[in-house]
Amino acid sequence: MASPDPKFEVAPPVAPVMVRVEDISKNFGNVRAIEHVSFEIRQGEVLGFLGPNGAGKTTAMRILTGFFPPTQGRVWIGEIELFKKPKEAKRHIGYMPESVSLYGDMKVLEFLGFVARIKNVPRGKRAAHIEEKLQRCGVGEVKNRLIGQLSKGYRQRIGLAQALIGDPGVLILDEPTNGLDPKQIVEVRSLIRELGKERTLILSTHILPEVSMVCDRVLIMNRGSVVASGTTEELEAGLKKAHEIFVVMGDRCRKEEALDILRSISGIDRITVTEEKNDQVSFSMVISRNEDLRPVISRLFVERKLPLLEIRSGRLSLEEIFMKIVLDEKSGRDF
Amino acid sequence: MKNALVLARKDFESYVHSWAGVLVSVFFLLIAGIFFSFFVLGYAKISLEAAKGAYETVQGLGLTRFVFSSFFLNMGSLLIFWVPLLSMRAFAEERKQETLELLFTYPLSDFEIVWGKFLALLGFLKMLLLPTLVYVLILSKLGGDLDWGPVAIGYAGFLLLGSAYLSLGLFISSLADSQIVSAIVTFGCLLIFWILDWVAGVTDGFWAHFFSALSPLDHFREFTFGVLDLSHIAYFVFFHFYFLFLTLRSIETRHWKG
Ligand SMILES: Nc1ncnc2c1ncn2[C@@H]1O[C@H](COP(=O)(O)OP(=O)(O)O)[C@@H](O)[C@H]1O
Ligand SMILES: [Mg+2]
Repeated sequence: MASPDPKFEVAPPVAPVMVRVEDISKNFGNVRAIEHVSFEIRQGEVLGFLGPNGAGKTTAMRILTGFFPPTQGRVWIGEIELFKKPKEAKRHIGYMPESVSLYGDMKVLEFLGFVARIKNVPRGKRAAHIEEKLQRCGVGEVKNRLIGQLSKGYRQRIGLAQALIGDPGVLILDEPTNGLDPKQIVEVRSLIRELGKERTLILSTHILPEVSMVCDRVLIMNRGSVVASGTTEELEAGLKKAHEIFVVMGDRCRKEEALDILRSISGIDRITVTEEKNDQVSFSMVISRNEDLRPVISRLFVERKLPLLEIRSGRLSLEEIFMKIVLDEKSGRDF
Repeated sequence: MKNALVLARKDFESYVHSWAGVLVSVFFLLIAGIFFSFFVLGYAKISLEAAKGAYETVQGLGLTRFVFSSFFLNMGSLLIFWVPLLSMRAFAEERKQETLELLFTYPLSDFEIVWGKFLALLGFLKMLLLPTLVYVLILSKLGGDLDWGPVAIGYAGFLLLGSAYLSLGLFISSLADSQIVSAIVTFGCLLIFWILDWVAGVTDGFWAHFFSALSPLDHFREFTFGVLDLSHIAYFVFFHFYFLFLTLRSIETRHWKG
Protein backbone atom coordinates (compact mmCIF):
# COMPACT_ATOMS: atom_id res chain seq x y z
CA MET A 1 0.00 0.00 0.00
CA ALA A 2 1.23 3.44 -0.89
CA SER A 3 1.92 5.73 1.98
CA PRO A 4 -0.51 8.66 2.15
CA ASP A 5 0.57 11.67 0.19
CA PRO A 6 1.54 14.35 2.71
CA LYS A 7 -0.19 16.97 0.57
CA PHE A 8 -3.53 15.33 1.24
CA GLU A 9 -3.06 14.97 4.93
CA VAL A 10 -5.95 16.45 6.86
CA ALA A 11 -5.38 19.04 9.51
CA PRO A 12 -5.08 17.54 13.00
CA PRO A 13 -8.57 17.07 14.44
CA VAL A 14 -9.63 19.90 16.73
CA ALA A 15 -10.41 18.69 20.24
CA PRO A 16 -14.11 18.81 21.11
CA VAL A 17 -15.50 21.72 23.08
CA MET A 18 -16.01 20.61 26.68
CA VAL A 19 -17.52 23.78 28.14
CA ARG A 20 -19.25 26.55 26.28
CA VAL A 21 -20.37 29.69 28.07
CA GLU A 22 -22.64 31.99 26.12
CA ASP A 23 -23.00 35.56 27.31
CA ILE A 24 -23.68 34.93 30.98
CA SER A 25 -24.46 37.64 33.53
CA LYS A 26 -25.36 37.30 37.18
CA ASN A 27 -26.95 39.88 39.47
CA PHE A 28 -27.33 39.69 43.22
CA GLY A 29 -29.98 42.32 43.80
CA ASN A 30 -28.31 45.46 42.53
CA VAL A 31 -24.82 43.99 42.50
CA ARG A 32 -23.68 42.84 39.08
CA ALA A 33 -21.30 40.04 39.94
CA ILE A 34 -20.50 39.12 36.33
CA GLU A 35 -21.46 40.71 33.05
CA HIS A 36 -21.56 39.29 29.52
CA VAL A 37 -18.94 36.61 29.94
CA SER A 38 -18.46 34.18 27.04
CA PHE A 39 -15.78 31.60 26.38
CA GLU A 40 -15.12 28.06 25.24
CA ILE A 41 -12.77 25.46 26.51
CA ARG A 42 -11.63 22.44 24.53
CA GLN A 43 -10.74 19.00 25.75
CA GLY A 44 -7.34 18.86 27.39
CA GLU A 45 -7.01 22.61 27.84
CA VAL A 46 -6.11 24.30 31.10
CA LEU A 47 -7.90 27.62 31.43
CA GLY A 48 -7.11 30.14 34.14
CA PHE A 49 -9.42 32.82 35.53
CA LEU A 50 -7.16 35.58 36.73
CA GLY A 51 -8.45 38.57 38.65
CA PRO A 52 -8.36 40.42 41.97
CA ASN A 53 -10.77 39.61 44.80
CA GLY A 54 -14.34 40.46 43.89
CA ALA A 55 -13.69 40.11 40.15
CA GLY A 56 -16.42 37.49 39.83
CA LYS A 57 -14.30 34.36 39.51
CA THR A 58 -16.16 32.39 42.16
CA THR A 59 -19.53 33.51 40.81
CA ALA A 60 -18.57 32.37 37.30
CA MET A 61 -17.44 29.00 38.65
CA ARG A 62 -20.58 28.52 40.69
CA ILE A 63 -22.59 29.02 37.52
CA LEU A 64 -20.38 26.59 35.60
CA THR A 65 -20.87 23.93 38.26
CA GLY A 66 -24.63 24.37 38.38
CA PHE A 67 -24.72 25.74 41.93
CA PHE A 68 -26.95 28.58 40.79
CA PRO A 69 -28.22 29.65 37.38
CA PRO A 70 -27.06 32.87 35.70
CA THR A 71 -29.49 35.78 35.47
CA GLN A 72 -28.94 35.62 31.73
CA GLY A 73 -27.04 33.40 29.31
CA ARG A 74 -26.45 29.70 28.77
CA VAL A 75 -23.86 27.06 29.61
CA TRP A 76 -23.14 23.77 27.85
CA ILE A 77 -21.11 20.96 29.32
CA GLY A 78 -20.17 18.93 26.25
CA GLU A 79 -23.45 18.50 24.40
CA ILE A 80 -25.63 18.96 27.46
CA GLU A 81 -27.18 22.27 28.38
CA LEU A 82 -26.36 22.64 32.07
CA PHE A 83 -29.54 24.26 33.35
CA LYS A 84 -31.85 22.11 31.22
CA LYS A 85 -30.43 18.79 32.39
CA PRO A 86 -28.46 19.72 35.50
CA LYS A 87 -28.18 16.24 36.95
CA GLU A 88 -26.72 14.76 33.78
CA ALA A 89 -24.39 17.67 33.16
CA LYS A 90 -23.07 17.62 36.72
CA ARG A 91 -21.83 14.06 36.25
CA HIS A 92 -19.14 15.48 33.99
CA ILE A 93 -17.93 18.09 36.47
CA GLY A 94 -15.62 17.81 39.43
CA TYR A 95 -15.59 20.94 41.59
CA MET A 96 -13.38 22.14 44.38
CA PRO A 97 -14.95 25.23 46.02
CA GLU A 98 -12.87 28.13 47.25
CA SER A 99 -13.40 27.54 50.96
CA VAL A 100 -13.08 23.72 50.61
CA SER A 101 -15.60 23.20 53.38
CA LEU A 102 -16.17 19.50 53.92
CA TYR A 103 -18.20 17.42 56.36
CA GLY A 104 -16.08 17.76 59.48
CA ASP A 105 -17.86 14.94 61.30
CA MET A 106 -17.07 12.33 58.65
CA LYS A 107 -13.96 10.25 58.23
CA VAL A 108 -12.04 10.78 55.00
CA LEU A 109 -12.90 7.32 53.69
CA GLU A 110 -16.58 7.65 54.65
CA PHE A 111 -16.81 10.98 52.88
CA LEU A 112 -15.15 9.78 49.70
CA GLY A 113 -17.37 6.68 49.78
CA PHE A 114 -20.40 8.95 49.93
CA VAL A 115 -19.13 11.00 46.99
CA ALA A 116 -18.38 7.83 44.99
CA ARG A 117 -21.92 6.55 45.54
CA ILE A 118 -23.46 9.91 44.64
CA LYS A 119 -21.37 9.99 41.47
CA ASN A 120 -22.42 6.45 40.57
CA VAL A 121 -19.04 4.75 40.75
CA PRO A 122 -19.99 1.04 40.40
CA ARG A 123 -19.96 -0.82 43.67
CA GLY A 124 -17.30 -3.34 42.69
CA LYS A 125 -14.82 -0.68 41.60
CA ARG A 126 -15.50 1.77 44.39
CA ALA A 127 -12.81 0.81 46.88
CA ALA A 128 -10.04 0.70 44.29
CA HIS A 129 -11.23 3.94 42.72
CA ILE A 130 -11.16 5.76 46.06
CA GLU A 131 -7.78 4.28 46.95
CA GLU A 132 -6.33 5.53 43.66
CA LYS A 133 -7.57 9.09 44.31
CA LEU A 134 -6.26 8.97 47.87
CA GLN A 135 -2.80 8.02 46.64
CA ARG A 136 -2.91 10.51 43.82
CA CYS A 137 -3.65 13.39 46.17
CA GLY A 138 -1.30 12.13 48.86
CA VAL A 139 -3.91 11.71 51.60
CA GLY A 140 -3.67 7.94 52.00
CA GLU A 141 -2.17 8.18 55.46
CA VAL A 142 -5.11 10.11 56.94
CA LYS A 143 -7.93 8.11 55.37
CA ASN A 144 -9.28 6.90 58.70
CA ARG A 145 -9.19 10.28 60.43
CA LEU A 146 -12.04 12.72 60.95
CA ILE A 147 -11.94 15.46 58.32
CA GLY A 148 -12.63 18.13 60.94
CA GLN A 149 -9.36 17.31 62.71
CA LEU A 150 -7.12 17.62 59.66
CA SER A 151 -4.93 20.55 58.67
CA LYS A 152 -5.85 22.98 55.92
CA GLY A 153 -3.33 21.37 53.56
CA TYR A 154 -4.89 17.94 53.96
CA ARG A 155 -8.42 19.27 53.61
CA GLN A 156 -7.44 21.03 50.40
CA ARG A 157 -6.16 17.77 48.96
CA ILE A 158 -9.25 15.88 50.11
CA GLY A 159 -11.23 18.58 48.31
CA LEU A 160 -9.22 17.76 45.22
CA ALA A 161 -9.73 14.02 45.70
CA GLN A 162 -13.52 14.38 45.91
CA ALA A 163 -13.47 16.43 42.70
CA LEU A 164 -11.54 13.65 40.97
CA ILE A 165 -13.92 10.89 42.05
CA GLY A 166 -15.96 9.57 39.17
CA ASP A 167 -13.29 10.77 36.71
CA PRO A 168 -15.28 13.76 35.45
CA GLY A 169 -14.29 15.24 32.09
CA VAL A 170 -14.04 18.78 33.43
CA LEU A 171 -12.32 19.84 36.64
CA ILE A 172 -13.14 23.22 38.14
CA LEU A 173 -10.88 24.43 40.96
CA ASP A 174 -11.53 27.72 42.73
CA GLU A 175 -8.27 29.20 44.06
CA PRO A 176 -6.74 25.80 44.73
CA THR A 177 -3.61 27.17 46.40
CA ASN A 178 -5.30 29.77 48.57
CA GLY A 179 -4.34 29.68 52.23
CA LEU A 180 -1.62 27.05 51.90
CA ASP A 181 1.95 27.36 53.10
CA PRO A 182 4.71 27.64 50.47
CA LYS A 183 5.61 23.96 50.57
CA GLN A 184 2.00 22.89 50.15
CA ILE A 185 1.56 25.39 47.31
CA VAL A 186 4.40 23.76 45.41
CA GLU A 187 2.88 20.31 45.96
CA VAL A 188 -0.63 21.32 44.91
CA ARG A 189 0.66 23.14 41.83
CA SER A 190 2.59 20.14 40.62
CA LEU A 191 -0.48 17.98 41.20
CA ILE A 192 -2.57 20.39 39.14
CA ARG A 193 0.01 20.48 36.38
CA GLU A 194 -0.11 16.69 36.22
CA LEU A 195 -3.91 16.66 36.14
CA GLY A 196 -3.87 19.29 33.41
CA LYS A 197 -2.02 16.91 31.11
CA GLU A 198 -4.91 14.49 30.98
CA ARG A 199 -8.00 16.53 31.73
CA THR A 200 -9.88 19.67 30.89
CA LEU A 201 -9.29 22.02 33.76
CA ILE A 202 -10.48 25.46 34.82
CA LEU A 203 -8.84 27.12 37.75
CA SER A 204 -9.04 30.56 39.26
CA THR A 205 -6.36 32.52 40.99
CA HIS A 206 -5.44 36.02 41.97
CA ILE A 207 -1.75 35.15 41.76
CA LEU A 208 -0.25 35.98 38.40
CA PRO A 209 2.75 33.62 38.23
CA GLU A 210 0.46 30.70 38.97
CA VAL A 211 -1.28 31.27 35.68
CA SER A 212 1.84 31.14 33.56
CA MET A 213 2.99 28.10 35.50
CA VAL A 214 -0.03 25.92 34.89
CA CYS A 215 -2.43 27.41 32.31
CA ASP A 216 -2.60 27.17 28.52
CA ARG A 217 -5.04 30.03 28.25
CA VAL A 218 -6.06 32.87 30.51
CA LEU A 219 -9.14 35.02 31.03
CA ILE A 220 -8.33 38.15 32.96
CA MET A 221 -11.39 39.27 34.87
CA ASN A 222 -12.12 42.49 36.63
CA ARG A 223 -15.33 43.78 38.20
CA GLY A 224 -17.34 41.03 36.58
CA SER A 225 -16.07 41.37 33.02
CA VAL A 226 -13.44 39.62 30.98
CA VAL A 227 -10.94 42.41 30.27
CA ALA A 228 -8.38 40.37 28.36
CA SER A 229 -7.98 36.84 27.12
CA GLY A 230 -5.50 34.76 25.22
CA THR A 231 -3.02 31.94 25.41
CA THR A 232 -0.14 32.40 27.80
CA GLU A 233 2.18 32.84 24.80
CA GLU A 234 -0.02 35.57 23.36
CA LEU A 235 -0.20 37.21 26.72
CA GLU A 236 3.55 37.10 27.12
CA ALA A 237 4.16 38.38 23.57
CA GLY A 238 1.83 41.24 24.39
CA LEU A 239 3.74 41.90 27.56
CA LYS A 240 7.09 42.06 25.74
CA LYS A 241 5.88 44.98 23.67
CA ALA A 242 4.57 46.83 26.68
CA HIS A 243 6.93 49.16 28.46
CA GLU A 244 6.97 52.21 30.63
CA ILE A 245 8.33 55.74 30.19
CA PHE A 246 9.44 57.98 33.02
CA VAL A 247 9.58 61.75 32.61
CA VAL A 248 10.94 64.33 35.05
CA MET A 249 10.02 67.99 34.49
CA GLY A 250 11.48 71.04 36.18
CA ASP A 251 8.44 73.31 36.54
CA ARG A 252 5.92 72.06 39.02
CA CYS A 253 3.42 74.84 38.35
CA ARG A 254 2.90 73.65 34.80
CA LYS A 255 1.99 70.08 35.76
CA GLU A 256 -1.48 70.26 34.23
CA GLU A 257 -0.12 71.58 30.98
CA ALA A 258 2.34 68.68 30.80
CA LEU A 259 -0.40 66.17 31.59
CA ASP A 260 -2.51 67.60 28.76
CA ILE A 261 0.33 67.09 26.33
CA LEU A 262 0.93 63.52 27.46
CA ARG A 263 -2.77 62.71 27.25
CA SER A 264 -2.87 63.98 23.68
CA ILE A 265 -0.28 61.43 22.53
CA SER A 266 -1.91 58.25 21.24
CA GLY A 267 -0.40 55.01 22.50
CA ILE A 268 -0.07 56.10 26.10
CA ASP A 269 -2.44 54.04 28.22
CA ARG A 270 -2.11 55.26 31.74
CA ILE A 271 -0.32 58.23 33.23
CA THR A 272 0.47 58.60 36.91
CA VAL A 273 2.21 61.38 38.77
CA THR A 274 4.80 59.47 40.77
CA GLU A 275 6.55 62.27 42.64
CA GLU A 276 6.33 66.02 43.30
CA LYS A 277 9.43 67.31 45.05
CA ASN A 278 10.85 70.84 45.31
CA ASP A 279 10.13 72.23 41.89
CA GLN A 280 10.16 68.90 40.06
CA VAL A 281 7.35 66.59 38.90
CA SER A 282 7.82 62.97 37.82
CA PHE A 283 5.41 61.10 35.60
CA SER A 284 5.27 57.48 34.64
CA MET A 285 3.21 56.10 31.79
CA VAL A 286 2.44 52.72 30.29
CA ILE A 287 2.91 52.12 26.58
CA SER A 288 1.32 48.99 25.21
CA ARG A 289 2.65 49.31 21.65
CA ASN A 290 6.04 48.36 20.37
CA GLU A 291 7.01 51.94 19.57
CA ASP A 292 9.44 54.32 21.17
CA LEU A 293 7.49 57.44 22.07
CA ARG A 294 10.41 59.28 23.71
CA PRO A 295 11.26 61.45 20.67
CA VAL A 296 7.61 62.54 20.34
CA ILE A 297 7.38 63.43 24.00
CA SER A 298 10.60 65.42 24.09
CA ARG A 299 9.71 67.28 20.87
CA LEU A 300 6.31 68.35 22.26
CA PHE A 301 7.84 69.42 25.59
CA VAL A 302 10.49 71.51 23.80
CA GLU A 303 7.89 73.12 21.52
CA ARG A 304 5.89 74.25 24.58
CA LYS A 305 9.09 75.27 26.36
CA LEU A 306 8.52 72.88 29.25
CA PRO A 307 11.78 72.17 31.09
CA LEU A 308 12.35 68.45 30.44
CA LEU A 309 14.99 67.20 32.88
CA GLU A 310 14.94 63.48 32.28
CA ILE A 311 13.29 60.90 30.03
CA ARG A 312 13.90 57.15 30.03
CA SER A 313 12.04 53.94 29.30
CA GLY A 314 11.85 50.67 31.24
CA ARG A 315 10.41 47.17 31.08
CA LEU A 316 7.14 46.35 32.74
CA SER A 317 6.96 43.35 34.98
CA LEU A 318 4.18 40.79 34.61
CA GLU A 319 2.75 42.03 37.84
CA GLU A 320 2.60 45.62 36.64
CA ILE A 321 0.84 44.72 33.43
CA PHE A 322 -1.76 42.77 35.35
CA MET A 323 -2.29 45.73 37.65
CA LYS A 324 -2.51 48.02 34.67
CA ILE A 325 -5.18 45.95 32.97
CA VAL A 326 -7.11 45.65 36.14
CA LEU A 327 -6.95 49.34 37.06
CA ASP A 328 -7.63 50.49 33.54
CA GLU A 329 -10.43 48.12 32.78
CA LYS A 330 -11.93 50.22 30.00
CA SER A 331 -9.17 49.23 27.62
CA GLY A 332 -10.64 45.77 27.16
CA ARG A 333 -8.65 44.20 24.38
CA ASP A 334 -7.12 40.96 23.28
CA PHE A 335 -3.41 40.36 23.43
CA MET B 1 -34.09 7.93 43.69
CA LYS B 2 -31.06 5.82 44.52
CA ASN B 3 -29.16 9.06 45.09
CA ALA B 4 -31.75 10.20 47.62
CA LEU B 5 -31.03 7.03 49.59
CA VAL B 6 -27.28 7.67 49.43
CA LEU B 7 -27.82 11.12 50.88
CA ALA B 8 -30.29 9.77 53.44
CA ARG B 9 -27.71 7.26 54.64
CA LYS B 10 -25.06 9.95 55.07
CA ASP B 11 -27.44 12.18 57.01
CA PHE B 12 -28.73 9.31 59.13
CA GLU B 13 -25.21 8.40 60.20
CA SER B 14 -24.54 12.01 61.03
CA TYR B 15 -27.68 12.15 63.24
CA VAL B 16 -26.69 8.99 65.05
CA HIS B 17 -23.32 10.52 65.88
CA SER B 18 -24.62 13.94 66.87
CA TRP B 19 -25.26 15.01 70.45
CA ALA B 20 -28.83 15.97 69.53
CA GLY B 21 -29.45 12.50 68.11
CA VAL B 22 -28.07 10.78 71.20
CA LEU B 23 -30.00 13.10 73.53
CA VAL B 24 -33.29 12.57 71.73
CA SER B 25 -32.80 8.78 71.64
CA VAL B 26 -32.07 8.55 75.35
CA PHE B 27 -35.00 10.71 76.44
CA PHE B 28 -37.40 9.20 73.94
CA LEU B 29 -36.74 5.67 75.13
CA LEU B 30 -36.72 6.69 78.78
CA ILE B 31 -40.06 8.46 78.52
CA ALA B 32 -41.57 5.78 76.30
CA GLY B 33 -40.59 3.19 78.92
CA ILE B 34 -42.02 5.25 81.76
CA PHE B 35 -45.31 5.87 79.95
CA PHE B 36 -45.61 2.27 79.04
CA SER B 37 -45.04 0.86 82.52
CA PHE B 38 -47.33 3.53 83.91
CA PHE B 39 -50.22 2.65 81.62
CA VAL B 40 -49.74 -1.07 82.04
CA LEU B 41 -49.71 -0.73 85.83
CA GLY B 42 -52.73 1.57 85.65
CA TYR B 43 -54.58 -0.98 83.60
CA ALA B 44 -53.65 -3.78 85.94
CA LYS B 45 -54.97 -1.81 88.91
CA ILE B 46 -58.24 -0.92 87.20
CA SER B 47 -58.90 -4.39 85.90
CA LEU B 48 -58.12 -5.82 89.33
CA GLU B 49 -60.68 -3.53 90.89
CA ALA B 50 -63.10 -4.21 88.07
CA ALA B 51 -62.78 -7.88 88.81
CA LYS B 52 -63.83 -7.09 92.40
CA GLY B 53 -66.86 -5.45 90.94
CA ALA B 54 -65.94 -1.92 91.88
CA TYR B 55 -66.35 -0.50 88.38
CA GLU B 56 -69.04 -1.99 86.25
CA THR B 57 -68.28 0.39 83.43
CA VAL B 58 -64.73 -0.69 82.88
CA GLN B 59 -65.77 -4.08 81.66
CA GLY B 60 -65.66 -3.13 78.00
CA LEU B 61 -62.33 -1.38 78.25
CA GLY B 62 -59.78 -3.54 76.43
CA LEU B 63 -56.10 -3.75 77.19
CA THR B 64 -55.16 -2.51 73.74
CA ARG B 65 -57.39 0.47 73.92
CA PHE B 66 -56.42 1.49 77.42
CA VAL B 67 -52.65 1.09 77.15
CA PHE B 68 -51.94 1.93 73.54
CA SER B 69 -54.31 4.84 73.06
CA SER B 70 -52.81 6.64 76.01
CA PHE B 71 -49.30 5.63 75.01
CA PHE B 72 -49.57 6.92 71.44
CA LEU B 73 -51.47 10.05 72.40
CA ASN B 74 -48.84 11.08 74.90
CA MET B 75 -45.92 10.15 72.69
CA GLY B 76 -47.56 12.08 69.86
CA SER B 77 -47.79 15.19 72.01
CA LEU B 78 -44.15 14.87 72.96
CA LEU B 79 -43.10 14.81 69.29
CA ILE B 80 -43.11 18.59 69.35
CA PHE B 81 -39.98 18.39 71.53
CA TRP B 82 -38.10 15.75 69.54
CA VAL B 83 -38.79 16.92 66.01
CA PRO B 84 -37.15 20.37 66.28
CA LEU B 85 -34.00 18.78 67.73
CA LEU B 86 -33.77 16.33 64.83
CA SER B 87 -34.79 18.50 61.89
CA MET B 88 -32.62 21.46 62.92
CA ARG B 89 -29.55 19.71 61.53
CA ALA B 90 -30.93 18.91 58.09
CA PHE B 91 -29.98 22.06 56.22
CA ALA B 92 -28.76 24.37 58.96
CA GLU B 93 -25.88 22.02 59.75
CA GLU B 94 -24.81 21.91 56.10
CA ARG B 95 -25.01 25.66 56.02
CA LYS B 96 -22.87 25.95 59.14
CA GLN B 97 -20.26 23.62 57.71
CA GLU B 98 -20.63 25.41 54.35
CA THR B 99 -21.06 22.11 52.55
CA LEU B 100 -24.15 23.10 50.56
CA GLU B 101 -21.95 24.34 47.75
CA LEU B 102 -20.61 20.83 47.27
CA LEU B 103 -23.95 19.14 47.75
CA PHE B 104 -25.63 21.29 45.13
CA THR B 105 -22.91 20.61 42.57
CA TYR B 106 -23.08 16.82 42.91
CA PRO B 107 -25.29 15.01 40.41
CA LEU B 108 -28.42 15.19 42.55
CA SER B 109 -31.71 16.81 41.67
CA ASP B 110 -33.15 19.30 44.14
CA PHE B 111 -35.99 16.90 44.80
CA GLU B 112 -33.56 14.10 45.60
CA ILE B 113 -31.84 16.37 48.10
CA VAL B 114 -35.10 17.22 49.88
CA TRP B 115 -36.38 13.66 49.76
CA GLY B 116 -33.06 12.22 50.94
CA LYS B 117 -32.95 14.62 53.87
CA PHE B 118 -36.51 13.72 54.78
CA LEU B 119 -35.87 9.97 54.56
CA ALA B 120 -32.94 10.33 56.95
CA LEU B 121 -35.20 12.04 59.50
CA LEU B 122 -37.96 9.50 59.05
CA GLY B 123 -35.41 6.71 59.37
CA PHE B 124 -34.28 8.14 62.68
CA LEU B 125 -37.86 8.28 63.97
CA LYS B 126 -38.38 4.66 62.92
CA MET B 127 -35.22 3.68 64.73
CA LEU B 128 -36.59 5.33 67.89
CA LEU B 129 -39.82 3.34 67.58
CA LEU B 130 -38.06 0.02 67.12
CA PRO B 131 -37.40 -0.63 70.84
CA THR B 132 -41.03 0.13 71.69
CA LEU B 133 -41.96 -2.99 69.71
CA VAL B 134 -40.15 -4.89 72.44
CA TYR B 135 -42.62 -3.51 75.00
CA VAL B 136 -45.47 -4.71 72.82
CA LEU B 137 -43.96 -8.19 72.61
CA ILE B 138 -43.38 -8.31 76.36
CA LEU B 139 -46.99 -7.34 76.96
CA SER B 140 -48.33 -10.01 74.62
CA LYS B 141 -45.98 -12.63 76.14
CA LEU B 142 -47.17 -11.71 79.64
CA GLY B 143 -50.57 -12.90 78.53
CA GLY B 144 -52.45 -9.80 77.52
CA ASP B 145 -55.01 -10.43 74.79
CA LEU B 146 -53.58 -7.88 72.37
CA ASP B 147 -55.56 -6.64 69.42
CA TRP B 148 -52.85 -6.32 66.77
CA GLY B 149 -54.84 -4.27 64.24
CA PRO B 150 -55.30 -1.16 66.38
CA VAL B 151 -51.68 -1.37 67.56
CA ALA B 152 -50.46 -1.35 63.96
CA ILE B 153 -52.79 1.56 63.14
CA GLY B 154 -51.41 3.41 66.15
CA TYR B 155 -47.86 3.00 64.86
CA ALA B 156 -48.90 4.07 61.35
CA GLY B 157 -50.58 7.16 62.76
CA PHE B 158 -47.54 8.02 64.82
CA LEU B 159 -45.31 7.81 61.74
CA LEU B 160 -47.74 9.94 59.72
CA LEU B 161 -47.81 12.58 62.45
CA GLY B 162 -44.02 12.39 62.70
CA SER B 163 -43.58 12.74 58.93
CA ALA B 164 -45.81 15.79 58.87
CA TYR B 165 -43.91 17.43 61.73
CA LEU B 166 -40.52 16.50 60.29
CA SER B 167 -41.43 18.04 56.91
CA LEU B 168 -42.32 21.27 58.66
CA GLY B 169 -39.01 21.12 60.54
CA LEU B 170 -37.14 20.41 57.31
CA PHE B 171 -38.68 23.47 55.69
CA ILE B 172 -37.71 25.72 58.58
CA SER B 173 -34.21 24.25 58.61
CA SER B 174 -33.87 25.18 54.93
CA LEU B 175 -34.61 28.81 55.81
CA ALA B 176 -32.77 29.21 59.10
CA ASP B 177 -29.19 30.37 59.39
CA SER B 178 -28.43 28.37 62.50
CA GLN B 179 -29.55 25.18 64.15
CA ILE B 180 -30.70 26.99 67.27
CA VAL B 181 -32.95 29.32 65.28
CA SER B 182 -34.27 26.37 63.31
CA ALA B 183 -35.09 24.42 66.47
CA ILE B 184 -36.78 27.34 68.22
CA VAL B 185 -38.91 28.36 65.25
CA THR B 186 -39.91 24.76 64.54
CA PHE B 187 -40.87 24.29 68.18
CA GLY B 188 -42.92 27.50 68.06
CA CYS B 189 -44.80 26.36 64.96
CA LEU B 190 -45.49 22.91 66.38
CA LEU B 191 -46.67 24.51 69.61
CA ILE B 192 -49.20 26.54 67.67
CA PHE B 193 -50.46 23.38 65.98
CA TRP B 194 -50.70 21.73 69.38
CA ILE B 195 -52.64 24.65 70.81
CA LEU B 196 -55.16 24.31 67.96
CA ASP B 197 -56.20 21.07 69.56
CA TRP B 198 -57.31 22.62 72.81
CA VAL B 199 -58.66 25.75 71.15
CA ALA B 200 -60.94 23.32 69.34
CA GLY B 201 -61.87 21.92 72.74
CA VAL B 202 -62.91 25.25 74.29
CA THR B 203 -64.81 26.65 71.29
CA ASP B 204 -67.97 25.22 69.84
CA GLY B 205 -69.99 25.17 66.67
CA PHE B 206 -68.25 26.15 63.48
CA TRP B 207 -65.04 27.23 65.15
CA ALA B 208 -64.69 23.96 67.00
CA HIS B 209 -64.97 22.14 63.69
CA PHE B 210 -62.62 24.55 62.04
CA PHE B 211 -59.87 24.23 64.62
CA SER B 212 -60.18 20.49 64.98
CA ALA B 213 -59.99 20.11 61.20
CA LEU B 214 -56.69 22.00 61.26
CA SER B 215 -55.25 20.34 64.34
CA PRO B 216 -52.83 17.47 63.68
CA LEU B 217 -53.43 15.97 67.10
CA ASP B 218 -57.16 15.82 66.49
CA HIS B 219 -56.59 13.79 63.34
CA PHE B 220 -54.01 11.68 65.07
CA ARG B 221 -56.35 10.80 67.96
CA GLU B 222 -58.52 8.68 65.68
CA PHE B 223 -55.51 6.54 64.79
CA THR B 224 -54.76 5.90 68.45
CA PHE B 225 -58.31 4.58 68.84
CA GLY B 226 -57.51 2.11 66.08
CA VAL B 227 -59.67 3.87 63.51
CA LEU B 228 -58.35 4.04 59.98
CA ASP B 229 -60.10 6.85 58.13
CA LEU B 230 -59.14 8.13 54.71
CA SER B 231 -59.79 11.78 55.59
CA HIS B 232 -57.23 11.65 58.39
CA ILE B 233 -54.67 9.97 56.18
CA ALA B 234 -55.33 12.58 53.50
CA TYR B 235 -54.78 15.36 56.04
CA PHE B 236 -51.31 14.08 56.95
CA VAL B 237 -50.30 13.32 53.38
CA PHE B 238 -51.26 16.83 52.39
CA PHE B 239 -49.45 18.38 55.39
CA HIS B 240 -46.34 16.34 54.60
CA PHE B 241 -46.12 17.07 50.88
CA TYR B 242 -47.06 20.70 51.30
CA PHE B 243 -44.01 21.33 53.48
CA LEU B 244 -41.75 19.19 51.30
CA PHE B 245 -42.86 21.32 48.38
CA LEU B 246 -42.09 24.52 50.29
CA THR B 247 -38.67 23.11 51.17
CA LEU B 248 -38.02 22.40 47.51
CA ARG B 249 -38.94 25.96 46.59
CA SER B 250 -36.77 27.32 49.35
CA ILE B 251 -33.64 25.48 48.20
CA GLU B 252 -34.27 26.30 44.55
CA THR B 253 -33.61 29.96 45.27
CA ARG B 254 -30.10 29.56 46.62
CA HIS B 255 -28.44 32.91 46.47
CA TRP B 256 -26.72 32.50 49.77
CA LYS B 257 -23.00 32.88 50.13
CA GLY B 258 -20.48 30.16 50.91
N1 LIG C 1 -24.33 35.64 47.28
C1 LIG C 1 -23.96 36.90 46.98
N2 LIG C 1 -24.76 37.92 47.29
C2 LIG C 1 -24.43 39.20 46.96
N3 LIG C 1 -23.30 39.56 46.34
C3 LIG C 1 -22.44 38.58 46.01
C4 LIG C 1 -22.72 37.20 46.30
N4 LIG C 1 -21.69 36.46 45.84
C5 LIG C 1 -20.81 37.32 45.28
N5 LIG C 1 -21.25 38.60 45.38
C6 LIG C 1 -20.56 39.81 44.86
O1 LIG C 1 -20.19 39.55 43.53
C7 LIG C 1 -18.89 40.06 43.26
C8 LIG C 1 -17.99 38.96 42.76
O2 LIG C 1 -17.67 38.08 43.81
P1 LIG C 1 -16.85 36.73 43.63
O3 LIG C 1 -17.42 36.00 42.47
O4 LIG C 1 -16.82 36.05 44.93
O5 LIG C 1 -15.39 37.27 43.25
P2 LIG C 1 -13.97 36.55 43.31
O6 LIG C 1 -14.19 35.09 43.47
O7 LIG C 1 -13.32 36.90 42.01
O8 LIG C 1 -13.22 37.13 44.45
C9 LIG C 1 -18.42 40.72 44.54
O9 LIG C 1 -18.68 42.10 44.43
C10 LIG C 1 -19.27 40.07 45.60
O10 LIG C 1 -19.47 40.95 46.67
MG1 LIG D 1 -13.44 33.88 44.85
